Amino acid sequence: MSSSKGIGIGGGVGGPKTTAPVATELDKLSVEQLRAVKEQADLEVNLLQDSLNNIRTATARLDIASNALNDLSLRPQGKKMLVPLTASLYVPGTLDDADKVLVDVGTGYFIEKTMVEGKDYCERKINLLKSNYDQLLEVATKKKSIADEVGIVLQAKLRQLTPSQ
Amino acid sequence: MASSTALRELQRDLENKANDLSKLQKDIAKNHQVRKKYTIQLGENELVLKELELLMEDANVFKLIGPVLVKQDLAEARANVRKRIDYISAELKRLDATLQDLEDKQKSKQETVFKLQQKVQSFQAGKGKA
Repeated sequence: MSSSKGIGIGGGVGGPKTTAPVATELDKLSVEQLRAVKEQADLEVNLLQDSLNNIRTATARLDIASNALNDLSLRPQGKKMLVPLTASLYVPGTLDDADKVLVDVGTGYFIEKTMVEGKDYCERKINLLKSNYDQLLEVATKKKSIADEVGIVLQAKLRQLTPSQ
Repeated sequence: MASSTALRELQRDLENKANDLSKLQKDIAKNHQVRKKYTIQLGENELVLKELELLMEDANVFKLIGPVLVKQDLAEARANVRKRIDYISAELKRLDATLQDLEDKQKSKQETVFKLQQKVQSFQAGKGKA
């Protein structure tokens, strides 16, 4: 049983090449510039949300793999089982040594580990993903608050401009 | 007469420069995409290297080549992954240099386009007065 590998863990946030001009006073910017800043901030927030979702999916898959491992370790050797050859074809077989598992570590490499090491691997990966998720969540909330602030200033500006006609 | 052909020439020049600028921007976008791909691969390879280094010397390592899992020597696998990491890092550095170069060119092109636009505008204003 090979465990699932994390989906592009580190690279989820690789894209945005942002240089947000937050140092300049939001008040001083014109409506056009405010709109552009808000658009960019919204874009970034969306990207970060996507990355967060990806991490959640990957964590869920690792959880499933970890559970499967735990289940497998309970099965006695020689137990009858059905082995999937394709998505709809299973063949009967017997469980061989359940102490060795093949772990997919990425880039096409598989490592043979003992059951204990396999469980440990899953644990480690899940913890790594959890900490990445927390970090990302922090960044995402900060960006969201910036985007909201820009939106508020933009609306205030618009309201200022229209009555003064 | 002469002034209108000069104006047309200026406008043609402006168009060319604007086309160059948009091509530069497309190149920059492509650079970012490739960079993203390499960064992801680099991260993945570093994870693999960490796992490989945690292994004891007698553990079995297999590589997926097509549909076949082929047994690999641990030292060889580590060396391969390290080499890949070095290669990807070098590519990333190269891309960084290219990106910097493209961005500089883009900035100078933007200035040229802007100046040309101003020239065209002043020309048209001049023609209008005359």
